[in-house]
Amino acid sequence: MVRTSIRLALSVLLLASLQLTGFAQTRMPQIKFTDRTLANGLRVLAAPDHSSPTVAIQVWYHVGSKDDPPNRSGFAHLFEHIMFKSTKNMKSEMMDRLTEDVGGFNNAFTNDDVTVYFEVVPSNYLETLIWAEADRLSGLNVDDGNFKSERDVVKEEYRQSVLAPPYGRFEYLLQQKSFLEHPYKRPTIGSIEDLDAASLKDVQDFHSTFYRPDNATLVVVGDFDSKQLDAWVDKYFAPIEKPSRPLPRVQVKEPPRKSETRLTEYGSNDLPAVGLTYLTPRQADADSDALRVADVILSGGESSRLYHSLVYTQQLAAEVNSSAELREDASLFVLTAVLSEGKKVEDVEKAMLVEIKKLQDEQVSAAELDKAKNQIITNQLRQRETSNGKALALGEAAVLLGDVARVNTDLERLQAVTAADIQRVMKKYFNDTNRLVLDYLPEASKKSGEGER
Amino acid sequence: MMNTVKGFLPQRREAAKEMASGWSPAGVASLRLCVSLLFFVTLFSCVANAQTPQATPPPPAQPRSVTFPKPVEQTLSNGLRVIVIERHESPIVSAQLLIKNGGEVDPPELAGLADMTANLLTKGTQTRDATKIAQEVESLGASLDSGARWDSSFATVSGMSSKIPQAMEILADVVRRPTFKSEEVERLRQQYLDNVTLALGDPGTIARMVAARVVFGDSPYGHPISGTTESLTRITAADISKMHSRYYRPDNAILVIGGDISAKDGMALATKYFGDWQKPTTPLPELSAAMENGGNKAGRVVVIDKPDAGQAAVYLARTGINRKDPDYFRGVVSNSVLSGYSGRLNQEIRIKRGLSYGAGSTLDARRDVGPFVALAQTKNESGAQVADLLLGEISRLSSAPPADVELLPRKAVVVGNFSRNLETANGLVGQVGSLALYGLGLDEINRYINNVQAVSTADIQKFAGTRLDAKTSNIIIVGNAKAFLPELQKKYPNVEVIPIGELDLNSASLRKKQTG
Repeated sequence: MVRTSIRLALSVLLLASLQLTGFAQTRMPQIKFTDRTLANGLRVLAAPDHSSPTVAIQVWYHVGSKDDPPNRSGFAHLFEHIMFKSTKNMKSEMMDRLTEDVGGFNNAFTNDDVTVYFEVVPSNYLETLIWAEADRLSGLNVDDGNFKSERDVVKEEYRQSVLAPPYGRFEYLLQQKSFLEHPYKRPTIGSIEDLDAASLKDVQDFHSTFYRPDNATLVVVGDFDSKQLDAWVDKYFAPIEKPSRPLPRVQVKEPPRKSETRLTEYGSNDLPAVGLTYLTPRQADADSDALRVADVILSGGESSRLYHSLVYTQQLAAEVNSSAELREDASLFVLTAVLSEGKKVEDVEKAMLVEIKKLQDEQVSAAELDKAKNQIITNQLRQRETSNGKALALGEAAVLLGDVARVNTDLERLQAVTAADIQRVMKKYFNDTNRLVLDYLPEASKKSGEGER
Repeated sequence: MMNTVKGFLPQRREAAKEMASGWSPAGVASLRLCVSLLFFVTLFSCVANAQTPQATPPPPAQPRSVTFPKPVEQTLSNGLRVIVIERHESPIVSAQLLIKNGGEVDPPELAGLADMTANLLTKGTQTRDATKIAQEVESLGASLDSGARWDSSFATVSGMSSKIPQAMEILADVVRRPTFKSEEVERLRQQYLDNVTLALGDPGTIARMVAARVVFGDSPYGHPISGTTESLTRITAADISKMHSRYYRPDNAILVIGGDISAKDGMALATKYFGDWQKPTTPLPELSAAMENGGNKAGRVVVIDKPDAGQAAVYLARTGINRKDPDYFRGVVSNSVLSGYSGRLNQEIRIKRGLSYGAGSTLDARRDVGPFVALAQTKNESGAQVADLLLGEISRLSSAPPADVELLPRKAVVVGNFSRNLETANGLVGQVGSLALYGLGLDEINRYINNVQAVSTADIQKFAGTRLDAKTSNIIIVGNAKAFLPELQKKYPNVEVIPIGELDLNSASLRKKQTG
């Protein structure tokens, strides 16, 4: 179930640095990068690549929706929008003048753990964009009119992603209900009430708390001269002071699940949906690799186990998906299905559990394991066709995995995953007591009982 | 599976609404020119408040130029046109087999036939069943995709360059020797029926399908390309086989291979796997040159009442242009003035008023005249206001056409999108394939930028006034009618209100016949 319209296809990162068995003919390009940290704590990753006269600039701020202030769910993301409004030296939307108007583009996204701003421009505009990114890190100068109008935009984004699509609320609830204590229980988009409560003061506080050089990573990939880049970074970013106060970090630990949770919700959908989540460890945990391969085995393409069983063979589901949703503090392994006409949620859930049990009872074959790894490699290569894609991979390794070298070593790690590893993680995490089940039924079935168990 | 990151990834602008118009191929050197010129316009506007060296943006350096690879082409003796475009930056290749007909040749009562036919290619051949095809392709790490669009059907493989020979063999097998077994037809029919149900839950999707019916009536571009409940139920395996034997023939096809492969290797693979594809002795089906859009029943205002809609989808729709129209580039640039993040529609609706997450437009140029659509989603209460704003901006395009200070940035957007699209193997193949499909010279890639730059303020004024006249447009709103209907009716007493339960996409009336 992929509703990609507002998702960024920021795929999981891995890239081949070595000659892999069976791929001798395919070059697996490494990303060659430099890595330095300014005295104020700003980290700078740079990878020259002159294949087209463009350059990708990204700034990763290590702040996400898990850092939303109390009673301000959705604030980190709202703030991301506000970062395009006025600063001391830039008028509102000037970032668009510097990018879109010269044939480039910009965008930004927020997730639970990070907020990322990115631009791709003709390479002769690199200095301009370094200046602009430094300027908005230095401070914002937003008025109430701009703030309220952009808040309305975000409320429309909420409606468009959560309320309008038939399964928007289903995905929202699935995350909300899957965490008990950790702020991950507040979906990134937030709620209308909390957005309405946000004020201009919250904006200034949030900027001074989290938007500081020692909480930022600048990534530049594309057509530039390294020395020149260093000079520009020194000129525009180095004067920004590092505050002396400590950076707040979320300390809450999500408790282990002790028993299965079963929930039923109703929506405007015509076909019922069912979602299963399992609590899994933080992204940097060694088990993440095996979980990622398991994810591809379960739902990567039409030969995957879930698609083949539920959609193709049994025709129980119109759509099925799984996802190893890796997060910094605690992760979820999510399985979802939208039912085919006339099918029962209990049968669909049972069929999903059968596929999980098979992976617990029997090791995957060498061929199936190879297939999954090939799919992962190809996806990696596709992500890295563009400078922006390469920069995303660098940022994710540095900020979320805590080891930028993994941009080039992750594929080795995935290659090392064995059939026994997959069986082990399936047994370790996919227990009845670690499961949440959400049935999402059509409102109309409430009265008739149709679609119910 | 892999390309999901943590549920929602709310972002500043909506990726799906980066609406480049219809086609867009390849950019080159002169891109940088317009771009630097323009920058100084921006620069002047902020020089005033300069205080420190850091108070104004540093100006751009000298632009760098680039050239794009030239497509190489050859027509095999069976009539198959083969095009190869080299791009060696990443070890990825994409190969697309295009059939020169798609949804527009669906018989009126069999909407969805072309799409089902194309989709079934990968569901079984004389030597492989559906499972085997998926297994083999995915074992290569490759992907194989097929479907129908307007004016064409396609099957595409893409994957690592080292795996492309095996992938091409499978591509040829599914295009040339599909079996259309009845169990696969039934399976796919059920999937399509489920998809109709899913589509009818989403206000934006409903609005798009209704807009096509309103603009094109019962003519070929009017029906939902993936069918309706009724048409899907009627399609038989025999209809599908007939569609395949009629249109899937080498002299009605184009093979485009792009990415990390040499022209010589590409041609050799094409000859090996498609060279012995027999051309039938029967003449080619007549291309529907005289398709005659029944269209533009101008001035319809249609509301689909969906009381549980979380938002209203507002569409303004009318006929646009065909791909060979001499005004094509005037159209592309006109559309760019309206659409894109800083286009007029998004400026007025999102940036100034906060009424939507994104407003934009598309000018979809097809073999015959395609649609022009301006759209936004908004809270139900502002449905009528957004319709007004859309209409107002379309009118303003001719009454207040963009001067250079506005026009140059919008041209830069077109050129930038075009150039970036050529950075991936899939983008290359898509753009070159589209030129070939519409019988345009492949060298248009290298004229694209000049064609864009040549468009003037006066051109846009004329194009907007004659081809995008707001008065002959239609309005479609899908949402909770109670919230916006009274306001809408004040302005449009002729508004047609159709409850979602009575919506019939099988005919231009859009309303189910009353059954007694």
